Amino acid sequence: MSAPVSETATAALQEPETPVEPPRGRGGGRTPWWANQRIGLLILVVALSALFGILRPAFFNQQLVVFPLLRDIAMFTVVGLAQMSVLSIGHMNLAVGRMAAFSMMITGISYDLWHFSLYAGLLVGLVAGTAIGALAGWVIARTGVNSFVVTLALDFLLLGLIPLVYTVLTDNAAFVTKPPGMRELRNYSLADVCIGNVCGSPAVPQLAMFAVIAMVVVGWIYSRSKLGRELLMTGTSVKAAELSGIPTARRVITAHAMSGCLAALAGFMLAVSTGSIKATIGEEFMLPSFLGPILGGTLLAGGFVSVWGTLLGTALTSVIRKGLDLLGVGLESLNIYLGLILLVALSTDRFRTVLSDRQGVRER
Amino acid sequence: MKRFALRFARTTEMTLLVICLVFFIGLVIASNGDLLEPNSLRVLLQFLAVPVLIGLAQMVVLAVGQLNLAVGAVGGFAACAMGVLMADHGVPVPLALLIGFLLASVAGLLNGLLVVLTRINGFIVTLATMTVLLGVQYRLVGTRTVDAYPQSLKSFGSYAVFGVLPLIFLVALAVAALLAVMLRRTVPGRQLLASGGNPIAARLSGISNDRSVIIAHTLSGAILGVAAILTVASSPGVNKSIGGDWLLPSFAAPIIGGALLTGGSAVVLGTVLAAFIVRFVDTARAEFSLEPSWVNFVVGTVVLGSVVLGQVRSRRQERRTVVKAPDVAVAGGVS
Amino acid sequence: MTLFEAEQIDKLFPGVRALDGVTLRLEAGSVHALLGENGAGKSTLIKVITGLYKPDGGRLLLDGQEVQFGSPHESASAGIGVVHQERNLIPGFTVGENILLQKLPTSRGLVDRGRIRSEAARWLGELDLDIDPDKPVTELSVAQAQLVEIAKALSVESRVLLLDEPTASITPNEAERLFRVVDKLKNDGRSVLFVSHKLEEVFQICDTVTVLRDGASVLESGALSDLTRDQVVDLMVGRVHEALTLPRRTVAADAEPLLELTGVGTATGHTDVDLKVRPGEIVGLYGLVGAGRSELAKALLGLDRITAGEVRVRGQVVRIKNVRDALKTYKIGYVTENRKEEGVFLEQSVARNIAVTVWDRLRKALGHVPFLRYVPKKAETAIVADYVEQLGIRIASPEQLAGTLSGGNQQKVSLAKWLAAKTEILIIDEPTVGIDVRTKDAFHTLIWDLAANGLAILLITSDLPEMITLADRVVVMRDHRVRGEVANDHDYDTMSQQVIRLIHAERTTAA
Repeated sequence: MSAPVSETATAALQEPETPVEPPRGRGGGRTPWWANQRIGLLILVVALSALFGILRPAFFNQQLVVFPLLRDIAMFTVVGLAQMSVLSIGHMNLAVGRMAAFSMMITGISYDLWHFSLYAGLLVGLVAGTAIGALAGWVIARTGVNSFVVTLALDFLLLGLIPLVYTVLTDNAAFVTKPPGMRELRNYSLADVCIGNVCGSPAVPQLAMFAVIAMVVVGWIYSRSKLGRELLMTGTSVKAAELSGIPTARRVITAHAMSGCLAALAGFMLAVSTGSIKATIGEEFMLPSFLGPILGGTLLAGGFVSVWGTLLGTALTSVIRKGLDLLGVGLESLNIYLGLILLVALSTDRFRTVLSDRQGVRER
Repeated sequence: MKRFALRFARTTEMTLLVICLVFFIGLVIASNGDLLEPNSLRVLLQFLAVPVLIGLAQMVVLAVGQLNLAVGAVGGFAACAMGVLMADHGVPVPLALLIGFLLASVAGLLNGLLVVLTRINGFIVTLATMTVLLGVQYRLVGTRTVDAYPQSLKSFGSYAVFGVLPLIFLVALAVAALLAVMLRRTVPGRQLLASGGNPIAARLSGISNDRSVIIAHTLSGAILGVAAILTVASSPGVNKSIGGDWLLPSFAAPIIGGALLTGGSAVVLGTVLAAFIVRFVDTARAEFSLEPSWVNFVVGTVVLGSVVLGQVRSRRQERRTVVKAPDVAVAGGVS
Repeated sequence: MTLFEAEQIDKLFPGVRALDGVTLRLEAGSVHALLGENGAGKSTLIKVITGLYKPDGGRLLLDGQEVQFGSPHESASAGIGVVHQERNLIPGFTVGENILLQKLPTSRGLVDRGRIRSEAARWLGELDLDIDPDKPVTELSVAQAQLVEIAKALSVESRVLLLDEPTASITPNEAERLFRVVDKLKNDGRSVLFVSHKLEEVFQICDTVTVLRDGASVLESGALSDLTRDQVVDLMVGRVHEALTLPRRTVAADAEPLLELTGVGTATGHTDVDLKVRPGEIVGLYGLVGAGRSELAKALLGLDRITAGEVRVRGQVVRIKNVRDALKTYKIGYVTENRKEEGVFLEQSVARNIAVTVWDRLRKALGHVPFLRYVPKKAETAIVADYVEQLGIRIASPEQLAGTLSGGNQQKVSLAKWLAAKTEILIIDEPTVGIDVRTKDAFHTLIWDLAANGLAILLITSDLPEMITLADRVVVMRDHRVRGEVANDHDYDTMSQQVIRLIHAERTTAA
C-alpha cells in the first residue's frame, strides 16, 4: 500500500481551494535574514562589544575581561539550556538553580567522602541532577499539577534540605576537598592546548568546552533526533501529541530530567570557576535561565526552541553586564538595565508578531 | 445557615483551621505552656504580619489567573524608598509612608499595564520588573542599612495591644478583612474573580478582563506597600536584602490555602491560615532548636503535598461537574 | 410583528465569503429555526448578530430601528440574549450571581446578596425552574446549567433569545423541559431563535425556519407547517450528495474482520457494543452529537477504560494501552473530529505534522549506539513530499506552519500522518466538518479509495448524506448503545428513513 490514493482521488483533491497564504514565522526557510531574531541578536552583541571596546579599551583585555566573560557566557548558556529543555514542552523549572546546588552537593560528597576524581564526581553530579529533574517531571506527569507549582515546591524543599546536609557534613558550609585538576580547569585556556607550535587563544577558557558539548548535544537532540521532535510536538499541543502516539507523560519526565542534568553541569562549571562547592551554588541562576532562551526566541508556551538563540541571548546579557561594569555602573544596578532590556526586547517582538499577524491572515 | 456550615466543613479553610489548632495545641504542650505567655504570643504574631500580607499580595493576582514574581522586589523597593526618604531627606513619617505606599501601588499598576498592553506573559513581565526594582532598591541603599528614622515609627512597629496583640498584626488582619470584603462583596471584586474563573464568560457578560488584570496587579502592589510599611516599622533597619526571601512564601501561603493557579479563587482566609501554619512550623523549629532550613524543607513538602491532594480532589469532582473553566489545561498540565 | 431583523448581511473572511446577503427575520411570540449544515454560516451569523463580528454589508434592525453592536455586551444590553454552545458560567459563583453577573445589584457600594437571591429566584421562577439561587454552579447538571444560562440571558430583559444547539449535550427528558421553557417564552411574546441539527426538535417547537447553505439563505422565514422533513433536508444539503457518484466496490462478506467488538462496555458509559469492520469495508457509525461515538473511538485507542466485552484485532483479543500501542502494534489510526486541538499541531511545520507518526520507523542509530538515534532528513522529506502530492495538500513549502493552512488542507495533513504510518484500520471522526462542499467531495473520493485499497474504515459522522455516500453498512448509535444496523443501498430516501426510524424508535421508548 505504498500509494493508497488513486489518481482520480488525487486529481479530485487538486481542485481549487482558498488561496494558500505565504508561510509565516520562525524557522521556516523563507524568512529574510534581516528579520531573523538571532541575526539581530548577533549584530547587537557584536555592536555592543565594539562600542564598549571603544569606550573602554580594557574591554578587550584577554586575561582580565574576555576570559571571565566567556566563562560566564559558557556557564549561563548551559543554565539557559537547562531552562530551554523544559520550555520546549511548555513547562518551567523554577528549581533550576537549586537542582544545580543539589547535584553539586552530591558531587562534593563524592569528592570529600569517597575521594572521587574530578570527572567521576562530575558524572555523579550529572546523574543526581538527572534524577532530581526526573523526579520533578514524574510528579508533574503523574498528578497533572502545573510545573510552576511543582518546581517551586521542589525549590523550597531543596532550599531547606541542602543547608541541612552541608551542616552535617562540613564545617564551614562548603566542601573543602578539591580533586586534582579542578584548579587547572578553572585557569587554563586554549593557550594551554598546543598542537605543535600553534597554541589556542588565551582568551578562551577550557571550561567553555562543556558549554560547547552541551550545545552540540542539545542542538542535535532538538534538530535531528526523534526525542527532540517529540518534545517539541508535546510542547505545541499535548492533546494532539498524545493522539499521534507520542508518549507525552514520558516526554514530560525526559524534558525535566534533561533540565536537571544541564543544571548539574552548570553547577559544576560554577563550582569550578569559583573554586568552591557550597550550598549557595545556583542562587543567581533563575533570571539568566529565562533571559537567554526567551531573548533567543524560545517560546514560553512550548514547541519552539533555539540553541543558538540561547547562546546569543546569554551573550548579550553578559556583554551588557560586563560592559556596564567596566563603565563604572554598579554591579547590582545593572539589573535595572537588564530588566528593561528584557521588557523592550519582548515588547518589540510582540509588536512584530502583531504586525505580521495583521498582514498575513490566519484562518479562524 | 446549616447548609452553609456543612459546606464550610468540607472546605480547605476548615482543614487548615483544624491543622492550625492541632499545631498550636501541640506547640503549647511541647513548650510546657510557655507559648501561652503574653511575650511568646506577641512574638509569634509579630512575625506573622508581613507573611500574611505577601501571601495576600500573591493571592490577589492568582485570583485573576496571573502571577507576580516581583512581590519581594516591590516590597523591598518601597521599604527602602521610605527608609531613605525619612533618614536621608528628613521627610516626615506619614508623608514618607504614604509615598512608599503609592510607589508600591504604582509598581503594581505598571505590572498590570505592561501585561495588558504588551500581551507578554505575566511571568516574564513581573520577572523583568522584579529585576528592575531590585536594581533600583540597590541604587537607593547600596550596601548600607538605613535605620536612622524616627523612633515613633519603631515604637508603632513594636507596640502591642494588651501586650499580646501587635499593632502590625492587627493591621495585616485589617487588610485581609478589607480584601475579603472587596473580593466577596464589591462589584469590581466579583468581576475580578469572574475574569479569573472564566474569562470568556466574563467578557460575554460585559466584564473587561483587562481591567480586572490591572486592578489585581494594582491591589497586589498596594498590599505590598502596606507590607513594606510594616517591615520598616518593625525591623531595626532596611537594606538591600529586604524582600529577597519573600517570593517563595508568597506562593506557599495561597497554594496551601487552596488557590487555583488558573484563577477564579478567592482564598483570603486560607492564605491567612496557611501563613499561620508556616509560622507555627518556624516556631516549632525554634522550640526544638533545629536548623532554620527545616522550615523551608517542611513548607516545600507541604506545598507539594497540598497541590497533589488538591489535584486528586478536583479530578474526582470533575467527574461529577459540568461547569469548569475553559482553560483547565494549564501550561504544566498533562492530560 | 417583527422584533429583530438582520437584513442582507455580508461577511467576508480572507478568501471566503462566509455570509452572502443573508436575511433573518424574528417575529415576536414565535420560535424561529436556523438550519444549515456545518460550515453553512450559522455561527458566523450568530456572531454578527451578537456583535462579535462586524458585518461587511447589510444592517441589523431592532424594532425597525437600525442598530450596531460593537461587543456582545452591547447586544445583550439592547435585549438580545444568547445561550452559547460552550458553557458560560463562572465556576466559583452561585447560580444567582451567574444569572445577574451582567448587572450585580448593590446597596451602599456592596453587592446585595439578598437582592441577588430574590431577583435570581424571580427569573428562575419565570422559567418554572426549581433551582436554589445560592447553589454553586459547579453542583448543577448539564441541563440545569443550560437553563440557568437561559435565565441569565433573560435577566437583561432580553426580548430576543438565541439558543445555539441547546440540546446537543442533554437527555431527551431534559430537552422536553427546555422546550416547555421555550414555549413559555414564546407565549410571553418573546422571540426565540433555535439553532439545532435535530430536525425532529425543530419540527416540534419551531414555527418558521431560515435555511443557510454555503453562506447564503436558501429559504427565508418559511413556515414549517408547509414543509416536510425531506424538503428541509434537501434545502440544507442541496443535491450535493447526488453529484458525487463513486464506483462500486465489493467487500468480501466472509473476510475475517480486522476490527471486531463484542459486548464492549466502557468507563464513559457504553454498554454492549457490537461492531465489525472487515478489510476494504467502510462502516458508518451514525448518531447525533452526544451519542457516544467519538468516546467509543477513544476507548478503542486506550484513552478510556474498556470495562466489559472484548476487542479483537485481526482475530486476536487485544488490550490497547494507548495511541502509541494502537499505532505501532495494531496499526490503528484515528483521525480526530477536533482538528484544531487534537488533529494538527498548528504551530509546527507541515512536514513535522505528517512525519510525526513515522519517526519511530525512520530513525537510525548513530554509530549503532542505542541512545543516539536520529531521524534521517532525506527519508523524512521524501515521505512528506509523497503524501503532500498524493493528497494534493496545497503548501508553499513543507516548512510552512500548519496553522496557516485552510481547514481543508489541515484536515488533509491530519489524515496524511495516519496514511504515512501505514495504518490498516482507520477510524475517521467527522472528516468534513467545516469544510466547503467541493473539498468534501474530494475527501469522500479519498476515503472511498482508501477502502478500495484494503483499509478497514470506521467512519463516524453526523452528516447523513456523507454517511450514505460512503458507508457499506451504517451502525446507528444512541445514548452509548448500538441501536441497529442498516446495509447501505446508497439510496438517500430509503436510507435516511431507515436510519431516522432507528433513532426515533429509540426516542419513543426512552421517553
